[in-house]
Amino acid sequence: MGPDGAPSQSVPWRKVLWEWQPFPDNYVDQRFLEELRRNEGIRQYRYWAVVKEAGFVGQQLSCVAIFITLWLYMEQGLLAPETLFWTSLTCALLGYGLYQALTSQTESCSDHRTHLADSQSAALFLSFTFGFSPVLKTLTESVSTDTVYAMSALMLLAHLVSFPYAHPSPPGSLSLNAALFASVCLASRLPGALHTFAMLTCALLVFALWPCLLQRIRANAPGQFTGVCVGVCVGGVGGLGSQSLGGAVLLSLALVSVTLICPLLLVRLQRHKDNIHGPWDEAEIREDLSRFLH
Amino acid sequence: MGQRRKVGSTNTPSSQSESADASKVHSRKHNICMVSDFFYPNMGGVESHIYQLSQCLIEKGHKVMYNQSTATTCFHSLPLLRCVFVRERITVVHAHSSFSAMAHDALFHAKTLGLNTVFTDHSLFGFADVSSVLTNKLLTVSLCDTNHIVCVSYTSKENTVLRAALNPEIVSVIPNAVDPTDFTPDPSQRPPDRITIVVISRLVYRKGIDLLGGIIPELCLKHPDLHFLIGGEGPKRLVLEEVREKYQLHDRVRLLGALEHKDVRGVLVQGHIFLNTSLTEAFCMAIVEGASCGLQVVSTRVGGIPEVLPEDLITLCEPTVRSLCAGLEKVIAKQRSGSVPSPTSIHSRVKNLYTWKNVAERTEKVYDRVAGEEVLPLDRRLRRLRSHCGPVAGSLFALFAVLDFLFLLLLRWLAPDRHMDMAVDATGPNGLWKENRKNSDAGC
Repeated sequence: MGPDGAPSQSVPWRKVLWEWQPFPDNYVDQRFLEELRRNEGIRQYRYWAVVKEAGFVGQQLSCVAIFITLWLYMEQGLLAPETLFWTSLTCALLGYGLYQALTSQTESCSDHRTHLADSQSAALFLSFTFGFSPVLKTLTESVSTDTVYAMSALMLLAHLVSFPYAHPSPPGSLSLNAALFASVCLASRLPGALHTFAMLTCALLVFALWPCLLQRIRANAPGQFTGVCVGVCVGGVGGLGSQSLGGAVLLSLALVSVTLICPLLLVRLQRHKDNIHGPWDEAEIREDLSRFLH
Repeated sequence: MGQRRKVGSTNTPSSQSESADASKVHSRKHNICMVSDFFYPNMGGVESHIYQLSQCLIEKGHKVMYNQSTATTCFHSLPLLRCVFVRERITVVHAHSSFSAMAHDALFHAKTLGLNTVFTDHSLFGFADVSSVLTNKLLTVSLCDTNHIVCVSYTSKENTVLRAALNPEIVSVIPNAVDPTDFTPDPSQRPPDRITIVVISRLVYRKGIDLLGGIIPELCLKHPDLHFLIGGEGPKRLVLEEVREKYQLHDRVRLLGALEHKDVRGVLVQGHIFLNTSLTEAFCMAIVEGASCGLQVVSTRVGGIPEVLPEDLITLCEPTVRSLCAGLEKVIAKQRSGSVPSPTSIHSRVKNLYTWKNVAERTEKVYDRVAGEEVLPLDRRLRRLRSHCGPVAGSLFALFAVLDFLFLLLLRWLAPDRHMDMAVDATGPNGLWKENRKNSDAGC
């Protein structure tokens, strides 16, 4: 079915409502949808750039694997809590030095925290964890071990899902809390209070401090970032392999799919992107309007 | 659940023949059922559109019903809607607004009952986020076998055609209207020693209130005699209050809170400039109301707004603080130099642009056209659903259509149509009310 009447060609149609026009209400002009724009401002991804970004996801997965490996060693008594604690502390100091070194190159002036404040926070955390470790040790005693394991698995998964991979410094509160919850659950199943303390210190190192350092490396030393990610992934697979071969195989499959196959899919599927824009889109406020308020 | 309100009706054979003789244009009268979740006493564009349109259609001798409800789901509204449609001898179901669940319900059941359907879309939608993907799919399903669709602007038509994958020729553009007698200018209400900018809108993000929060300090610092009069309520009121607090503008920025429709004119006539900062708008009745009261209109260039007023009655700006400030400065300068047309001349130009009479005539044409079309029988409806809406949603809603049809058969067996009472039309005893109406109504 066509428009109601034959429009006279002498008067061109105009896209205005305020003027009576000799066209039926359902008239469709040549210019219909002329302002439609497709795929505006679309980003063209390059495969290896995406792989590099996906490396962060892969190494975070490996971090969780490394943490679980350490816990397994602790639970079986193969790793003394003192060793773990002193190693963690050494790593933390080394990492802190590296962090400062990477900071001083660029934005040292914008960093307000002093070394004293940092050491104060560290001392506060260590003393509180040490003091409360007997309490944490018995925290989940009345809960069955299966429940604790299930809870930990769920929470570590939540940590991985909610982790802010684009801006991991500081790690998001949901992901950090989920990871620490899982750590407390797992640590409470260890044989002694000192084990619990060492495990929690290690958890803080892996889940809270390491992402900050890695983000700094990604920003200031992109060449080394890839190497570090690969190193962590290899460490994760190797460590898990020493305890459970099946786990190591699963982890490596996950790593391959996350860092290699998913980026490939993303780049391939970009061709099918069909995003339409037009005058009906809600306008975006791009200005920073907070300057009027603060 | 259904709250039914009879707006009014005139449909006796005598009145039909009389009005047909009088106009000779309309061959038949329709029994129209307006369906939407939005109606008086709530206020808003859709509500007043339905109300005014219904009034004008009644004047033209059609019978108009109104249905309103909230929270309906697919099937349980069928018995009630069937009862209404049969009792009132409805011929055309006219649903309003894609946000209204009941509108979609009514369209679905009306097609099952074999009634002609019309849908009016009042809003614009994007395509990017998950919620719009889902609502657009629902709209596709709902409109794929609807006889005719009405949009309020050309931009809205483009949007609806894309969202629901429609043939553009079954989509008519019929703008909203403003009652010009409600919005007359009165320059004596303007305080002489100042320039007042009026903003009337809900204070929400989509209306660009954040932009307004940037414009107010910027302009108030430059022009000491500039005042703002802001009508409306909403979560973004906080932003305006903070700005007012920070820049100490309590005497120059007045927040009036929610306004009733009858108070709007009283606020508008106090101002020189009407400002609209919307980020998206299908038609925007507010700027027509502002112009009808003789104000200079400054607005963002979004959605259907550029189609609404001629270039010399509106200053269009980009949706940024800088562009809006520049546009307002230009108009303020013109206002100071006195080179703006008088409110009366603006009113006389605007008053005939959008009238409900015109809207009703054009809507009537849609009804006439729709009444001549056939409603798809079940088998073709199912085929259309499956070919038009994709394999998953199409099949799912085809199943719903079949279930709806079976449910209807059951209802017809339980309570046959012929046993249903027909509603008596409210014409008063011996058509007395009808006579009164004829004498008192000059027109709408």
